Amino acid sequence: MSNLFSPPLYKQRHQFVIEFVKRFAPRKVLDVGCADCRLLTTLKVHRHGVELLAGVDIDCAAIQRRKHALAPLSSDYLVPGDRPLTIELYHGSVMEKEPCTKGFDLVTCIELIEHLDPGDVEKFSDGVFGYMVPHAVIISTPNAEFNPVLPGLTGFRHKDHKFEWTRAQFSTWALGICWKYGYSVEFTGVGEAQDRDVGFCSQIAVFQRDTELNAPVNNTYLVPQVYRLLYKVVYPSLQDNKVFHRTLVSEVLYSAESLRRRWREERDGARSDLTSDICGSGSAEGQGVYRCGRSVRVPLLDVWASPRVQALCVDVQHLREALLAGSWVQLDTDGGAIVLPDEDEENEEEEQEEECGREFAFRLEKRNITEDWDADLG
Amino acid sequence: MTGRARARSRGRARGPEAGAPGAVRDQRGSTEVSRPVLLPPSEGELVGRGRQKTAPGALTPETVLQISAGFQQVKIGERGGRRRDFHDAGVHTRQLMEHVKESKTGTSGFPIELRANFMRLLSRPQWALYQYHVDFNPPMESRRLRSALLFQHEQTLGKARCFDGAILFLPHRLHYTEMVLCSETRHGEKVQITVTLTSELPPSSPVCLQFYNIIFRRILRMLNMQQIGRHYYNPDDPLNIPQHRLTIWPGFVTNILQYESSIMLCSDVSHKVLRSETVLDFMSSLKQQYRDQYFPDACTKELVGLIVLTKYNNKTYRIDDIAWDQTPVNTFKRGDSNISFRDYYKMQYNLEITDMNQVLLVSHVKKMGPAGAPPPGPALLIPEFCYLTGLTDKMRNDFNIMKDLSSHTRLTPEQRERRLIRFISSISQSAEAQNELSTWGLSFENKLLSLTGRVLPVERILQASRTYEYNPCAADWSKEMRGLPLISSMPLETWLMFFTRRNADAAQSLLYTLNKVAPPMGIRVQRAVMIEYEDRPESLLRALQQNVGPETQMVVVILPTNRKDKYDCVKKYLCVDCPTPSQCVVSRTLSRPQALMTVATKIALQMNCKMGGELWSVEIPLKQLMIVGIDCYHDTAAGKRSIGALVASLNQGMSRWFSKCVLQGRGQEIIDGLKVALKGALKKYLKYNNCLPSRIIVYRDGVADGMLQSVVNYEVPQIMQSIKTMGQDYAPKLSVVVVKKRIATRFFARLDGKLANPPPGTVIDTEVTRPEWYDFFIVSQAVRMGSVTPTHYNVVFDNSGLKPDHMQRLTYKLCHMYYNWQGIVRVPAPCQYAHKLAFLVGQSIHKEPNINLDDFLYYL
Repeated sequence: MSNLFSPPLYKQRHQFVIEFVKRFAPRKVLDVGCADCRLLTTLKVHRHGVELLAGVDIDCAAIQRRKHALAPLSSDYLVPGDRPLTIELYHGSVMEKEPCTKGFDLVTCIELIEHLDPGDVEKFSDGVFGYMVPHAVIISTPNAEFNPVLPGLTGFRHKDHKFEWTRAQFSTWALGICWKYGYSVEFTGVGEAQDRDVGFCSQIAVFQRDTELNAPVNNTYLVPQVYRLLYKVVYPSLQDNKVFHRTLVSEVLYSAESLRRRWREERDGARSDLTSDICGSGSAEGQGVYRCGRSVRVPLLDVWASPRVQALCVDVQHLREALLAGSWVQLDTDGGAIVLPDEDEENEEEEQEEECGREFAFRLEKRNITEDWDADLG
Repeated sequence: MTGRARARSRGRARGPEAGAPGAVRDQRGSTEVSRPVLLPPSEGELVGRGRQKTAPGALTPETVLQISAGFQQVKIGERGGRRRDFHDAGVHTRQLMEHVKESKTGTSGFPIELRANFMRLLSRPQWALYQYHVDFNPPMESRRLRSALLFQHEQTLGKARCFDGAILFLPHRLHYTEMVLCSETRHGEKVQITVTLTSELPPSSPVCLQFYNIIFRRILRMLNMQQIGRHYYNPDDPLNIPQHRLTIWPGFVTNILQYESSIMLCSDVSHKVLRSETVLDFMSSLKQQYRDQYFPDACTKELVGLIVLTKYNNKTYRIDDIAWDQTPVNTFKRGDSNISFRDYYKMQYNLEITDMNQVLLVSHVKKMGPAGAPPPGPALLIPEFCYLTGLTDKMRNDFNIMKDLSSHTRLTPEQRERRLIRFISSISQSAEAQNELSTWGLSFENKLLSLTGRVLPVERILQASRTYEYNPCAADWSKEMRGLPLISSMPLETWLMFFTRRNADAAQSLLYTLNKVAPPMGIRVQRAVMIEYEDRPESLLRALQQNVGPETQMVVVILPTNRKDKYDCVKKYLCVDCPTPSQCVVSRTLSRPQALMTVATKIALQMNCKMGGELWSVEIPLKQLMIVGIDCYHDTAAGKRSIGALVASLNQGMSRWFSKCVLQGRGQEIIDGLKVALKGALKKYLKYNNCLPSRIIVYRDGVADGMLQSVVNYEVPQIMQSIKTMGQDYAPKLSVVVVKKRIATRFFARLDGKLANPPPGTVIDTEVTRPEWYDFFIVSQAVRMGSVTPTHYNVVFDNSGLKPDHMQRLTYKLCHMYYNWQGIVRVPAPCQYAHKLAFLVGQSIHKEPNINLDDFLYYL
């Protein structure tokens, strides 16, 4: 079966979700039945503005095994992203009502419902559509009509499948949902058969809410009541004040430092050429680096000219306010320039004697001046 | 745990996945990029150290090779010998040395209470690890499936388990030695699983030790630490040095090993230097600095050898080359079709390449492909997605960067201890980590190991007819030797001083001060011939060629900046073409009048050594002894050529040395060249002493982690062979000591109620040494800032019968004999000399120095 489709069917299903996310830009996505977190791992990479990725599964071990694949990479810390991202993984059953699962923009149930006992399907529908009430739901399930195309298959595709629906059965169920909970649905699928009208191998229903919810539910900091939180990670992002400030200070100081270096080189070059002593050959953006007393001043305007600083602050005013909020960068009195110490005043190397413990007062063990180790060997 | 999760928990052993797109062989068959890959030798030829005997007839070697890609560390050396054992476990040298079988401890000195950065591993009594072989019928191809099938029996097997597809480890014994379990696949296929006990591993068995390390890595990951290279770092609280775009992550180096009396975790604070700058940023700033024709050279020089961290996965790669003919629009083969780098990164990682003209980086991936397949060939990397890590040589030479760095990374003993304690308590506070440890029945003692060391007596410095002692805490005698005559001094009669016009004054004041400081030391100074040169390498070289003659004793060159080109030019000419001792001084050093006396004194001493003078000595209570020091320098940039240096003593006072440097040819071992050098040293010794030495002690520095076995098996026999060539009946006593400076071991002394560095001369030869070695630690140097690093000495061969106490004392004495430092250094002087020589040749000369210089310390 695996060779029948290229790319493999599960990848096509994931790709379908990615395309949906790209188009509708949900901020919060919950994957019900996330199993080994493969879809979440893919969504983490192709996040397109998703800020909360959650997963829930009844199989605790599967999540435990794979959860570290969702951890931030070193580079996520090194260069924090613009948008926040939180990942939460829960152990729990979709049959139970958990307040944390409310308020999602998108809930995905990929190849899940066929594992439920037929009697539980209604409870599931009520949980997802009636209780969680997300804006959109993507449900995929095997298409029973496609099974004859699959070579060597007898019975269901997986021994744990409790049922496999035809297209008609799936749409009957889905239309019932729409009527009951106020959603509209579109049918599609992935994995096409050649020359035979059996539909897609995996049939997919995309539900969207007819009406907007009045009050968006903020569930980010809720403590789960029924589910058990297995893993939670908050990615470093520029939305986090601490991270933003740290990044900004780094970029500002780097930029200021390089401007000062260039200014010094120009000045030294000018000096050795024995031309007149021009200081701060005013650049286009500001008046250029200049010396003031025992310090060097780098105008904020010049610093802001650096693209990496610009990416962080919309204008100089914003930059000034951000810098004044912390104490890492020293600004001059009118807040127009960064004050850097003058490097010419090389700090003298301080000589200090290592403090000597009193215990070494008895260090001098008197011994024979001349030893002969050869003789010791006998 | 799946194979993948385990692979990640294990550190370096993550199998190649989609991460290295360029790893697929280049389509256009360019020979530059695709090189033939050697097949690893078949498994049968190699001896796995940790592998226990599998159940008879269970699996053919081929299938084992295929399926057990998971637990690779257990089978060290089986993958074409690439996977090195970084802890050099399994090298048993002590048992071959009769005189240290019983005891390897010394006796001299007074005891001192110490703490070491070790924590004992505690396990319940009778703890053992049970190793099972797992067989599937019908055989299952996928390792993931095998794990899933096996773990359907959690009730029988328990929660704590470690399975790599063929071998299962459990902390408890199953009810039966052989068990047959039945599982069902998702298609309802019945699979019979046979689980057979193959061995019961005691806590100290090599497999168990590796197992502890795997578990510990899992724990580090649970503490949300990021793995970079071999170690784990904490990204949450970075230190930034914005001026240089450096980010420092604090982290830990850890390893669990069997030490002298118990299994312990050794852990030290480590810092990772990262740069929030991509290779592309770096390349564009280089482009601004260099003109077009110099850019490729500059680029190669700066980048090759650096380690980069990729943006899209957590992997590090070493840059081996730059593919000037490849850009992101080029394609590579993926599966059956071709895909461009641009599309690949967009599709796989949602990353946009902005600069389509950037050239790609080449990294030769040494790691094996999946299931023991040959390595996938060179990987091509996108500069835009690679972050630089570590420091470049240029940065290392930048005093300001290093000062900023060290203010962050140098920790006092107290700070260091606090961090280690915090680390251990964070493990004990993490419920997840505790859970993992307790399911395996393991825990760590939550305090640092206490032990007793000894402080060796202060050495008496002999200088001509005078002797004196130094302050043991400072380990420095520059004050004590002031105004005392040297053992032997060479008069400066015919000597030249070169300077640029701008430094004419500096040259004059140096000359004047030299005349003032030299006579009290016994050095007679005649007027130097003063020669002005233009500030260009060519004109400096011309000036040297015109003025330096065979009778010239010494050449002093005042350099206007510390740029390397002029220095290299002086050294190249005067070490190879026209062998003359030379002394370079950067004018800046002479700029502070108040320091000029000190500087001139140091220069006078250094020049005296270079011409063959002797400064001081310590008492050496062994006769007819030759000490040999060996070190290497690995030139990462220029074709990875290694340089070996050998320095051998020629007299009783250890004040005269024979030095030889060899450049290693491709595929050659460094010792092959040094063998010849050793023979030369013996001949020279014979010439000076009219006899050959009756004892030879070789201090071998520059042995990388995991290379100990090859020193023991290959280098020691080569050294013996070289000695044999001096005559059939010449059989001196030989000792070979491996010296290691870069170690994670730290010691702290309790002084006046607080933790401090142990005083120079502290010897540790118990508890934290290894039972299978004749080894010891010495703290010989004093440091002003931070914590001192002890030096580890491992005597790998010794037929001299010298008492351990004398071996330790002699080693410490030799640390007093480095003439470029009026104090104690961290390694025996010959090692420091060899290092200095290899470094000079590797950095500046790139050729074997002239043989006329062999008897002088010209490279100081």
